[in-house]
Amino acid sequence: MVAGRPASRQEGLTVSAAARRKIEPREIAEPLCRFDDLVDGKSRGFDPLGEGRDTMFVVRRGDAIYAWRNHCPHYDRARMAWKKDEFLDPSGEQIMCFAHGALFAIDTGECTLGPCLGQSLTPVEVELREGAVRVKGIYEPGFRR
Amino acid sequence: MRIIGPDELIFGVDDLDACRTFLLDYGLTEVERTEAGGSYHALDGTGVTLRSRNDPSLPKPLPTASMLRKTIYGVEDQETLNQIAAELDKDREVVREADGSLSCRDDLDFELGFRITTRKKLDLPAEMINSPGAKPGRGPNVIGANQDAEAKPRTLSHIVYFVPDMDRMTKFYIDRLKFVITDKFTNTGPFLRPQANFDHHVLFMIQTPAYMQGLEHLAFHMQGPTELMLAGSRMVAKGYESFWGPGRHKFGSNWFWYFNSPLGTHVEYDADMDLHDGEWVERETPMSAEAAQLFLFENVEKWSPGGPPPGKKD
Repeated sequence: MVAGRPASRQEGLTVSAAARRKIEPREIAEPLCRFDDLVDGKSRGFDPLGEGRDTMFVVRRGDAIYAWRNHCPHYDRARMAWKKDEFLDPSGEQIMCFAHGALFAIDTGECTLGPCLGQSLTPVEVELREGAVRVKGIYEPGFRR
Repeated sequence: MRIIGPDELIFGVDDLDACRTFLLDYGLTEVERTEAGGSYHALDGTGVTLRSRNDPSLPKPLPTASMLRKTIYGVEDQETLNQIAAELDKDREVVREADGSLSCRDDLDFELGFRITTRKKLDLPAEMINSPGAKPGRGPNVIGANQDAEAKPRTLSHIVYFVPDMDRMTKFYIDRLKFVITDKFTNTGPFLRPQANFDHHVLFMIQTPAYMQGLEHLAFHMQGPTELMLAGSRMVAKGYESFWGPGRHKFGSNWFWYFNSPLGTHVEYDADMDLHDGEWVERETPMSAEAAQLFLFENVEKWSPGGPPPGKKD
């Protein structure tokens, strides 16, 4: 939690400046979770940069995982879940944005019904290594601030 | 035409249990629960009714993702119902329901109902504040910050539709139902209030492509900004997704806090909206982030300064 960190004297920041500190894009060294921690058929949100909100989510289907940014293409940086980790419609067959009910294919991210028809979710490249789910490459912040 | 505002919104949803839990956590009271669904009321008896998407008793859905199936307006008296029936009979089917209400569709196929309002008249205190130079809102020893305050939604405030033809819809509500424009976002849509309600808006519309038609959000009025903050903070603590807010709008002046919901629409808390009468002259401005809000905040975890004095280890 950024706002809770004491001001660093070395950096010469006041508390309020620390709270406003810009989060930079970077590689995510630590894994998101173990593959076995993901429940088959369910979604789970992650906050790889510690921004205070889940900025991406992963859906597991059998041995496959699909990872998307938590941004509905309908509005700039619109958050999609209705509750922590709830990114799927009740059937579990599609991703749903609970802002206005848009539906997306889990595997392709394409919107099939709703306000962003024809648009797609933004993929997050992830890999499975030694049983852990990891984000590949540079990860951009996603939280409005 | 003495229309007051939306009394009840009926939804056909995929997940009755999730929607029920959401509305209870939001602060509405369950007044009916059956296998078919349930009804959830604010303090004055306005509210939301849930049914399953496939419930045969529901009006047909819009061909979009919207789960809203019917908007029922409350009116003052039978005379108003008669006026509405006479006006809308001219060019559309108006069904007289067994309970005395009317059902029809507006010019873009939103299902509407009209009934003599079932709202209970509320007699409740406003949020009381102390302000230098003004008579105290709270006397000596009356505490303002109550962590355990109930923070219940008081009344259904307004709805916002996504509409593919804003001009046609505006004309219908103004010419046929005698709504009045209070303010307008150019090329986005008008804020409308009916004749028997001074609230800045009970209906706002946003111009969109046809495939987006539906309900953008619904909102209930809270006692004031403090209860709005309290209720919203509780939603965040329960894991619900804050979508926008807390903040304060410019048009309407209402405080706002929007949440995503399993009803596939935003559900908003609002407080302290402007009132307008026939003397008001509408304002118009292009829609922008600057025009939409006086200020905007974001909920963060509670924090306080503290710890050891500077220079001490512990």
